[in-house]
Amino acid sequence: MSIKAGVGFSTEKDTLRACTEALQIASINLQKDKIDLAIIFTSLDFVYSKALKTVKALLGPTTVLGGSSAAIICENGVFRYGLVIVLMSFLKEIYYNTAYIQDIASKGCLVAGKELAKRLLSDFRGSRRDLGIIFSDGLINEGSALIYGLQEKFGRSFPIVGASVSDNLLFQRTYLYYNETIITDAALGMLLGGRLGFGYGVRHGWNPLGKPHIVTKSKGNVVFEIDGAPAVQLYQDYLGLTVQTLKKELRRISVLYPIGIYISGEEEYLLRNLIAIKDDGAIIFQGDVPIQSQIRLMIGTKESCLDATRQAAEEAKTGLRGSGYNPSLVFIFDSVSRYVLLRNETKKELDIVKETFGKDIPVIGLYTYGEQAPLKTMVYQGQTHFHNQTITILTLGG
Amino acid sequence: MSTNAIFILTLAITTLILAIMLNLKINKVNNLQRAVDNLKRSLDEMDEQAKLIVRTDMELNRTQEELDKKITGLYALQRISRAISTTLQENMVFKMLGPPYLEDLGFEKAVAFVWNEKERKFILNFSLGYSEDETRAIKSFVDSHTQVYLGLIKKEETVSSLSLENTGITKEEIRNVFKSISFILSPILPKEGNRGFLFVGTDNTDITISAGDEELITILTNQIGQALENARLFENTWRAHQALEKKVEERTQELRRALEEVRIISKRKSDFISAVSHELRTPLTSIKGYASILLTGKLGQLTPEVQERLDKINRHSDELTHLVNNLLDISRIESGKITMRQEVHNLKEIANSVLELLSPQISAKQINTICEIPENCSMAYVDKEQIRRVFINIIGNAIKFTPEGGTISIRSEKTDSMIQVSISDTGCGIPEEAKEAIFEEFYRVDNPINQQVKGTGLGLSLVKNIIQAHAGKIWVESKLGKGSTFIFTIPMPTQ
Repeated sequence: MSIKAGVGFSTEKDTLRACTEALQIASINLQKDKIDLAIIFTSLDFVYSKALKTVKALLGPTTVLGGSSAAIICENGVFRYGLVIVLMSFLKEIYYNTAYIQDIASKGCLVAGKELAKRLLSDFRGSRRDLGIIFSDGLINEGSALIYGLQEKFGRSFPIVGASVSDNLLFQRTYLYYNETIITDAALGMLLGGRLGFGYGVRHGWNPLGKPHIVTKSKGNVVFEIDGAPAVQLYQDYLGLTVQTLKKELRRISVLYPIGIYISGEEEYLLRNLIAIKDDGAIIFQGDVPIQSQIRLMIGTKESCLDATRQAAEEAKTGLRGSGYNPSLVFIFDSVSRYVLLRNETKKELDIVKETFGKDIPVIGLYTYGEQAPLKTMVYQGQTHFHNQTITILTLGG
Repeated sequence: MSTNAIFILTLAITTLILAIMLNLKINKVNNLQRAVDNLKRSLDEMDEQAKLIVRTDMELNRTQEELDKKITGLYALQRISRAISTTLQENMVFKMLGPPYLEDLGFEKAVAFVWNEKERKFILNFSLGYSEDETRAIKSFVDSHTQVYLGLIKKEETVSSLSLENTGITKEEIRNVFKSISFILSPILPKEGNRGFLFVGTDNTDITISAGDEELITILTNQIGQALENARLFENTWRAHQALEKKVEERTQELRRALEEVRIISKRKSDFISAVSHELRTPLTSIKGYASILLTGKLGQLTPEVQERLDKINRHSDELTHLVNNLLDISRIESGKITMRQEVHNLKEIANSVLELLSPQISAKQINTICEIPENCSMAYVDKEQIRRVFINIIGNAIKFTPEGGTISIRSEKTDSMIQVSISDTGCGIPEEAKEAIFEEFYRVDNPINQQVKGTGLGLSLVKNIIQAHAGKIWVESKLGKGSTFIFTIPMPTQ
């Protein structure tokens, strides 16, 4: 195997003890001296440079990437407090590079995306590149534009899988980690190539309800008009609520009833969560909604959600098998919407993933404010899109 | 027919066909239109149904959320209750309100204050989810609104961001100081002791407080009140227990000291009696010896007067010797100089031998004797000679106090691991106040018989000492004029 991975976690309250414990478990599971890369996800309680300094001091020159999350996911369960770390060891036929970009708000998402791609490519020694894994600030408004920026440099069909990191569901501030540094308003990523295989599945499980509607006026992630009427009218009609109530209950409504964009040839609609309702009735979505898109109001249940998880896991597994490798590690990028919807059944998603990949597979995951993964249809030529409400499962094998 | 006519006919037929076809098409279009209309209507209806579904689903979700929240809250409450109810230290009660429990109740911030009546101020007992600066700000806010909070406590009512009104502080003030959008403030009311209040809050806009939440927090503060009450009671009981133990210890020490003193005094007394008795015995022996020699007449014929006086000297010497011997025995037993040579002996034999020894006196007064010592309680683990003395003394006394034709009975029975012997007479009885004193040295009951009959007042004291040296007890049951029963216990042989 050219990729080896070991996952460790800790729910200790003391930062130092937690870091040490998680790293110890990870090293034992890795059973390798050479550690090339570490990825760490933590609950907000560990967003201190002390935690990162401890991890970095223990790991030495190994690059550390990561981010904050509403809860952490590892093979042992889903924990609201804690940190999870994966240590990865690559054989020499695998090439990788890491980079980060800050000040996205002032640069603009598109420019930031391009710049990040440039930095990732700069040290890649012209080797074959196969996959990009991206983590971005969960509160940047134009997640789609960041992807477009990356695609301009990587190529439209280059597979990028990623997560917009989250906080404790308050949507106040999310954090990314790069070595010892905690960064916000940022994005970071890794580029992988060589003797490795990967598979991914991205599913949400929400179903369309009611008539199709046409987006008649939009720009980026702001939808002004649907069927010629102010966008908010759609939600007023279906939910029978006033604009004021809609604004008050926005977060709940966004999780339960997002809109879905119809994509010809795709099994599932592309979901868009609501971020805000403007005074003129325009709705700001988390991800762009192109003009003339056919959209539907979407509805989901716990069962459909868990079905989607099963499908995503199966797709990821099948995808990796197609490349002729066995899984070494599974990443779960799980939307916080699902965390909220599934409530005390969140662990069922993890159980499904373990059922699919086998109980001994190393698993690391986080909850997201947006996921990035390619669509599969020919029309889109495997182009990566910005998703909402999905469970995105990425498996690496080498 | 001309060509024209044929043409016209053909045209007419064609027109007719076309007209028919047109008609058919129009019909088809109309049908299609109707189908489209139907479809559109169906779609609209479906859309209306969709709206209904969404609204119902929303309602269901809300109910489900409420229910989930309540169940999680109840579970949390149950866990906190369990933790709190097992706490018996006042300062630990609040520490049980950890973040996981509180978050399950839907709050991430909490403070608790308890009113100190002596210092007339609120004491901060617990703070969670606040920085030190925030806690300080809350403390000073509470201090400057003491009356408001005391009023809330007095009303014994839980208030929240939902229900707070007309109390002297506004929701906005609380929201600003306590950094919480939604909050609940509930009084802590132990039956006795200092009262206080618990504040829980959250700045999560998704969480809205319901009446159910108020109830949950009220239950929680009731539990806290109960726990504080329990802790206080436990503390009091514990303190009382400690004080009692201390007192018992002090008393024990006092008693030990007193006992030691008594022992020392008693030893001094025994030593004194022993010394004096020894000193008395030597001259007594001489006196008695010389009197006896004189009485034999070997030193010259005695006149009847001298003979009579010498007899008296001789008799009195004997009595004095007897008294001195008894005194010596008592002091020896008391000081432990005599150890009981305990062996298994037959009580019946001892009793009979004593009765035989005393038979002249018994016959002289025509006293009936009854000796009922059954086989199963006749064997005792005793010093034969000493127990013999016990029987001699008690039966001797009985003979002395029993009028002519009276009865003396000796009986025994088993009690626990001891044999209980009772010796009854039909004498004059012992007054109530003398029942214990008769076992003291030199005590003699004031009665006509004692005035006539001589005695040392040491017999029963010696008996008591002997019985106690056998680890037994002795007492007397008696009614004036109806006789007395002396009862003592002695050990049985071990199996």
